[in-house]
Amino acid sequence: MHALEARHAPVVSLWVWYQVGGRNEVPGTTGMSHFLEHMLFKGTPRHPKGDLDKLLARYGALWNAFTSEDVTCYFETVPAERYPVALDLEADRMRNALITVEETEAERNVIVSEREGLENDPSFLLGEQLQAVAFARHPYAQGVIGSKEEIKLMTRDGLYAHYRRHYAPNNAYFIVAGDAPAEELLDRAASAFGPLEAEVPIESPKAPEPPQYGEKRVIVRRAGGALPIIQIGHKAPRASDPRAPALSALAVALGGATAGGGEAASGRSSRLYRALVDTGLATTVDASFNLMKDPYLFIAEAHMRPGVTHDRVERVILDELDQVARAALSDEEFGRVRRQMLSASAFMTDTITWRAFRFGQLLGTGAAASLGEWYDRLAAVTAEDVRAAAESVFREKGRVVGWFVPESS
Amino acid sequence: MDIRRHRLENGLRVAVVPIPGLLSAAVLLAIEAGQWFEPAGRPGIGRLTAQVMLRGTTTRDAKTWADALDGIGAAARLDVGSHAATFSAQSLGSDLDVLLELMADAVVRPAFADKQVELVREQTVAQIEEDAKNTRAVAESAWRKLVYLKGHPFRARPIGDLEVVRGAKADDLREHHRRAIRPDGAVLVVAGGVEAKQVFDAAEKAFSSWRAGGPHEESKVPDARLTTAVRKLEVVPDKTQSDVVLGWPGLPRTDPRFIAARVTNMVFAADTFASRAGHVVRDELGLAYYVFSTLGGSRGQSPWVVRMGVNPINVDRAVSTTLEELRKIVDGKVSQDDLDLAQDKLVGELDVARESPAGVASLLLEGEVFELGDDYAERYPRELRAVTLGQVVEIARAFLPPDRHALAIAGPPLPDRD
Repeated sequence: MHALEARHAPVVSLWVWYQVGGRNEVPGTTGMSHFLEHMLFKGTPRHPKGDLDKLLARYGALWNAFTSEDVTCYFETVPAERYPVALDLEADRMRNALITVEETEAERNVIVSEREGLENDPSFLLGEQLQAVAFARHPYAQGVIGSKEEIKLMTRDGLYAHYRRHYAPNNAYFIVAGDAPAEELLDRAASAFGPLEAEVPIESPKAPEPPQYGEKRVIVRRAGGALPIIQIGHKAPRASDPRAPALSALAVALGGATAGGGEAASGRSSRLYRALVDTGLATTVDASFNLMKDPYLFIAEAHMRPGVTHDRVERVILDELDQVARAALSDEEFGRVRRQMLSASAFMTDTITWRAFRFGQLLGTGAAASLGEWYDRLAAVTAEDVRAAAESVFREKGRVVGWFVPESS
Repeated sequence: MDIRRHRLENGLRVAVVPIPGLLSAAVLLAIEAGQWFEPAGRPGIGRLTAQVMLRGTTTRDAKTWADALDGIGAAARLDVGSHAATFSAQSLGSDLDVLLELMADAVVRPAFADKQVELVREQTVAQIEEDAKNTRAVAESAWRKLVYLKGHPFRARPIGDLEVVRGAKADDLREHHRRAIRPDGAVLVVAGGVEAKQVFDAAEKAFSSWRAGGPHEESKVPDARLTTAVRKLEVVPDKTQSDVVLGWPGLPRTDPRFIAARVTNMVFAADTFASRAGHVVRDELGLAYYVFSTLGGSRGQSPWVVRMGVNPINVDRAVSTTLEELRKIVDGKVSQDDLDLAQDKLVGELDVARESPAGVASLLLEGEVFELGDDYAERYPRELRAVTLGQVVEIARAFLPPDRHALAIAGPPLPDRD
């Protein structure tokens, strides 16, 4: 349990991070952690479905949940005086969720609908295929939401067993940030979660990804998009790797701190924006390095102008990646990258919800033990660190290239 | 909230909320240059103008301007909505003067170079073509065409019509800039780790040379009115989900009934947990992953719409369930508890929004843009609480007649009708 004081607004944000996600699933049950996340909103014996929903709505709470490859996360941001209510909700549903057959059936339709909404987006379809091709053994290949067929096969008993196994105090991080002394925030949390019993410890999944011996490629052809898309992934280290801060800086150098394109005015000095958007080859670009528990991907993405060929944009992107791996950024360019990265860090921690999120993300992935440590590591990155990180990651033997090719209707 | 105000000689109004203890500041510059202020029959001119403003000024080319913005690590964007063109940004408090100077450079002295106009035009054309395959965008476009007549500023989405975008010249954008990008009617709101005097001084320095390019021209827009239920299905190939927009023309933000309408919106469908339609369609029946309604605020009848993402086989049921919930409100079958919940939610959100500088700036913006009074932030929660059940029913009857709605659906063919 960790607490951060944030005294600029009468608000508290609390987060429970369960160490279970797509990474803990096996073929046939993929999507189970995400399905379970939905079921945690269906009530407990003490708080029947709808009771706490309405109560939190009355407080104007910002509250939700998400599931990733690594974790399942629940949060509430509430007026400070409502902190005990949100704590009570989270402590109760950590062990006492009902998960009935009837609610499982009703929610299955909602999750299928969520999946179908994602399938409408060509970028999601390509990303899902890219991930599946990139990993031969590691469960990151499976993604998070699962296939429609698997969602339809999910059983109440399977979900309940998954719940009882993974939802316990010894498999969760609790983070709170808000308008009270840290000790007081922690004391209250300890009272709520202290009585809950631990479960049998869970071993981390062991399915290390074997070496890759050459570039992999995937093509998705659909009529559901007008613009061609390209995604180029490279195998990248986990969040706890010493190169992680430099790779975060590399993503800013290539794509800006905010995704470039459309209405965004910032990030336009980035390498990919200059090479692809300013030249009229693409409408938007992005570069991302995600903090993950296990080695994942550094991804560059471009949504291309109609009529521009994938070959051409792929060559431009690979050339930019090659250049950034060969020569360190100039002082001027690196200065911009550093300011964007450090400012973005301040923007995030100036919002109480995101301050708590960021802390949980760093702890949960092993990136850093505190916000201060991570900031210091970002601040210590040099231009040469960025170049060296690029050189270590942008290799043909770790590459996966995905093309979305629009088909005529 | 400690709100400080200042007005520049050119009419630009500045409002600041210093928040001690924060490193950054959120900035919102809202200019009355949204769709409502576009030249009649030229949808898309406003957004094109705004986007080209970000691509070079008479003092800095596009590259130099972008380098300078990224050089202070600011995050910024410029969006055109139904009422305003809003430049939103965040920077460290210590960089605010540089940020405001860069924003002012783009707003006051854009170059509108032919090359940059072409680049933005081609980007926009590509986006419009992509949107033609995006079910949410297709449903919204279809809905607007059902509700607003030709020439109405809200008939197209802010990105505009393909023909207008293709035909726009640099001079058209210069003219729109001269006419609409003006300091009178514009508002600059800043919240975060700054001192009020620092902001006022920086705003004076950055924006005092900004001048209005002629008198304000009032738009004369005919009323939008639905006389019957209308429906449009747009089939988009290779999609699995239908996006649904169900709605009505709304009411101007300046209408005295607007606060009651906002509460009615929350009672009806604004939120999954606090609203009747959201609760029944998603939570009870599991018919949609998302369902929510929005009521736009502008000088005109902005869309008042419910949006849903639904499997094609569930579209009819989701729509009829939503209309059933609306009928209950219209028939007066709405409980005090429904109203209390909606009011609690709307008032509670105001407290929670204070957690971030951007949240605080957003809280201020509406009152400042529509000149709702210096005490608006304090008055607003009371006004929300004062809305009665009778007013909710009256608003629903006046603005949300269940039998006179516009329904647009985009996605795969529907099983029972096609």
